[in-house]
Amino acid sequence: MKRRNARTASWLLAGVLVAVAAGCGSDAKTSSASTAAPADSTAGSTGAGATGAGITLAVNPWTGSAVNANVAKVVLESKLNTAVTLTDIDENATWPGMDAGDIDAVLEVWPSGHAADVSTYIDEKKSVVDLGLLGPDAKIGWYIPTFMLADHPELATWEGFKDPATAKLFATAESGDDGQFLMGDPSYVSYDDQIIANLKLPLKYVVAGSEAALITAIKAAIADKTPLLMQFWQPHWLQSQVELTEVKLPDVTDACLASAAAADGKYACDYPVDHLFKAASAKLESKNPAAFGFLSKMQLTTDQQNEIAATIDGDGMTPADAAKAWVEANPDIVATWLS
Amino acid sequence: MATATSTLEAAPRPADATPNRWAVRARHVAIPAVVVAAIVVVGIAIGHDEVPTWLDAHVMPAIDRLYHWTVINNDRNWLFTAVFSNVSDAVKWCTEHMLSVLQILRWPGVLALTGVVGLHTSGLRAALTGMVVLSGCGFLGLWDDTMVTVSLMLVAVLIALLIGIPLGIWAGLSERAEVIMRGFLDTAQVLPVYVYLLPLVVAFGIGDASAVIATVIYAVPPAVRITSLGIRAVPATTIEVGESFGCTNTQLLRKVRLPLARRPILLGVNQVIMMAFAIVVYASLIGTAGLGGEVLTGLQKVDVGRAFAPGLAIVFAAIAIDRVTTGQRSTSSRAGRIWARPPWITALGERPAVVAALGLFALAAVAIIAKATGADHFPSSWSIDVVTPVNDAAGWVGDHFRRGVPIVGGTGSFSDFVVLHLLNPVRDPLQSAAWYVIVAIAVAIGWLAGGLRIATLAAVCFLGLGALRIWDLAMDTLSQVLVAAALSLLIAIPLGIWAARSSVVERLLRPLLDVAQVMPAFVYLVPVIFLFNVGRVPGVVASIIYAVPPGIRLTTLGLRQVPFAPREAATSFGATPRQELLKVQLPLAARSMLLAVNQVIIMVLAVHVVASLIGAGGLGLETVYGLTKKQIGRGMAGGLGIVFLAVFLDRVTQAFGTRSERTD
Repeated sequence: MKRRNARTASWLLAGVLVAVAAGCGSDAKTSSASTAAPADSTAGSTGAGATGAGITLAVNPWTGSAVNANVAKVVLESKLNTAVTLTDIDENATWPGMDAGDIDAVLEVWPSGHAADVSTYIDEKKSVVDLGLLGPDAKIGWYIPTFMLADHPELATWEGFKDPATAKLFATAESGDDGQFLMGDPSYVSYDDQIIANLKLPLKYVVAGSEAALITAIKAAIADKTPLLMQFWQPHWLQSQVELTEVKLPDVTDACLASAAAADGKYACDYPVDHLFKAASAKLESKNPAAFGFLSKMQLTTDQQNEIAATIDGDGMTPADAAKAWVEANPDIVATWLS
Repeated sequence: MATATSTLEAAPRPADATPNRWAVRARHVAIPAVVVAAIVVVGIAIGHDEVPTWLDAHVMPAIDRLYHWTVINNDRNWLFTAVFSNVSDAVKWCTEHMLSVLQILRWPGVLALTGVVGLHTSGLRAALTGMVVLSGCGFLGLWDDTMVTVSLMLVAVLIALLIGIPLGIWAGLSERAEVIMRGFLDTAQVLPVYVYLLPLVVAFGIGDASAVIATVIYAVPPAVRITSLGIRAVPATTIEVGESFGCTNTQLLRKVRLPLARRPILLGVNQVIMMAFAIVVYASLIGTAGLGGEVLTGLQKVDVGRAFAPGLAIVFAAIAIDRVTTGQRSTSSRAGRIWARPPWITALGERPAVVAALGLFALAAVAIIAKATGADHFPSSWSIDVVTPVNDAAGWVGDHFRRGVPIVGGTGSFSDFVVLHLLNPVRDPLQSAAWYVIVAIAVAIGWLAGGLRIATLAAVCFLGLGALRIWDLAMDTLSQVLVAAALSLLIAIPLGIWAARSSVVERLLRPLLDVAQVMPAFVYLVPVIFLFNVGRVPGVVASIIYAVPPGIRLTTLGLRQVPFAPREAATSFGATPRQELLKVQLPLAARSMLLAVNQVIIMVLAVHVVASLIGAGGLGLETVYGLTKKQIGRGMAGGLGIVFLAVFLDRVTQAFGTRSERTD
């Protein structure tokens, strides 16, 4: 038995050595081939006179982000001879990536979630630069499934929730006697607990933990026709699949915005509109000025972005194909980005 | 992990079979009673029902300041420009070349490599299993993504072993090293990845380097622990024989200890691989390609089928590598082989060099043929669509089990029941009781389990929770962990007993357990929320799915290890099978069962962060803030809270395990 153990050990060692040797050997033999391969592919996509240094764009995990990045990739590769790598990455890890220059640009930043990144990387360290607005505006708000309005039209505004009996429609095991207000990803901006407290609503703030959890809760509520009150926003791909209605909150006032800035806990109004913007690594301008100029000018309207997103989420096209088709069909818009 | 440490603790404890048992017992009860009373009196004297503010550790602001400094200076400070960036480049070089090796071999070559390694270490059956399972990744249409993930994991595993095995040998030889390392290993293993993901990115950049380093942090502990255990398990007599023949210490290590510890070290290799695959999804958050990103995309779109396919590919890759690297099951299958081994195979077995050359030759042949025939990609026409059937199945389950089920009412009302009658009754007293009462109870439990040492540890852990200002969240987490662990054991122990008594059941369960253990929890989050409503219950359910497999395995293992003689004696005295199980097998397996309890609790804590993404809240959510709000200090506090709870629960259950052995 012991001999066999020793023998197996030597086998294992031999196996590892063989694997390593095979690795090194074939690597050395074919390294020229493997470096040649990517060169071929870039030559193919950039055309004969490749000029711009290759750049990397971040793709954050939602369809809109994939739309912007793929549209930019098609234009950069076909018009500006710049090879583009798309990197799937979490939106928070994108900023250190731009800081180091590993990522050259991200084309859709939701300002509400990135105030700290803006102040650290753009204002203080100046390693990331603002590339201007993307175009679409975003709006966070309180939402309920639209079917609820049939029996409870008063829920169209926040005042409808003042009545404890109505609020109790939304009660769950987690919220006890109060109605449940569901928040999705806790890292998204939220004044909901302050709004609830300051408007003295009989609601309990419950955190679902992630956007996926929130969406699943919405789908379950609509499938079962059960009440649900939650934070949600436009634009979002789910808005085209299910009927949701935004609950009217008190109008945004200067005092309200001031208390948001002061973080004094007195916030008691609707959410302000978010203007989505683009950002780039500070190194991009010298590395590839043409790409930098194009990315600063590129803009999509909400409708355009939704149109491309629908061909991806609805028709099942890949983001790359959808972007290519749209760019080919809209040469005038693309031309304005390149002028 | 705890397998290793608890066995270590068991050995040196003397049996206290003193004649004056009652006096001993009285002392055991009296001292903790006095200490507990003292803590409560001090607590009342301080007069705070809230955790006193002077306990505040100032850890969080300090960490935040350090992180900010790092962000601002990572392009000028020498530590980053001269050290971290070179480490990062070296790791990237490794992953790139590992991937290009896999790509040069092409898919037939990779399958052949799997087979060759499997034949070397574990025999024909494991080799074939490994090849079939790995080709499953191709049939899922995810071969190329799988290779990216596997190359990353292989590099991480190699680095983890290069660090872990020497450290393990050191810990095995030196008691002091073991004690010092233990705290670091616990932290590395239990601290959620979310806490240090963003700092790693700032130090090492996005992409492969940070992902590999995160994986190494998580995978080193089992390598150290199991290696150390193996070194320590070498019988003292064997060492003495070596010494009496005049071996030097180096010779003792190389010729006696390491060869005898070969099997545990191989088991360590296996565990490192399994741990590494648990990080795949997190790695994709920081810009690595591969399977993890596909899982996240599916989750983001709330598309179960789309997340399931890459999840299954991760499972296949992990199982394939597991089967061909363990070599553990080979002896039993060899012993049970029906046909005789042909003489030429035996002859080959004695010439490893020849076999190695043959293997290399075969590999090269396969790779060259693959290149010649242009088999660059796994044929896409072979791929099988799992997305639609999985979505249909998930939809059907969601429609039929949520409500309207006779008697129980459905998963929705079950969920309400668990919240109102299990989770709230455990959480509310924990949160509403004065902090010193909870500390006193924890100290008392620690004392009963393991005397002064564990009692002190309990005090440190619970006061630490107060110091980090996460008391209420920690109590919330603790209540969920206790409920989830209790429910997991209710499921795991009966199934484990059943599996121990029927090898058919065990064989049927095994693939299910493998899948449940390796499948990223992110894959089944969506159906779990759909069934159980957002809140703490989906988290509990996800924890149960993850924690039941080790519970079943350890129960079965414990029962199987009960020696045959006492069972035979029981049968000969006319015990029914039921009596034999209850009066002989279960008591004799008590220690292993306590280990099952221990592992179930640790697993529940390990999955708590993922559970917090579907409504569990508590400390898990705090660690997520570390990544998503750049509040690194806050994330670290939450992570340390989880470490404190884990250390307390781990040591207490281990100490009870040791005690139960003493009284046997």
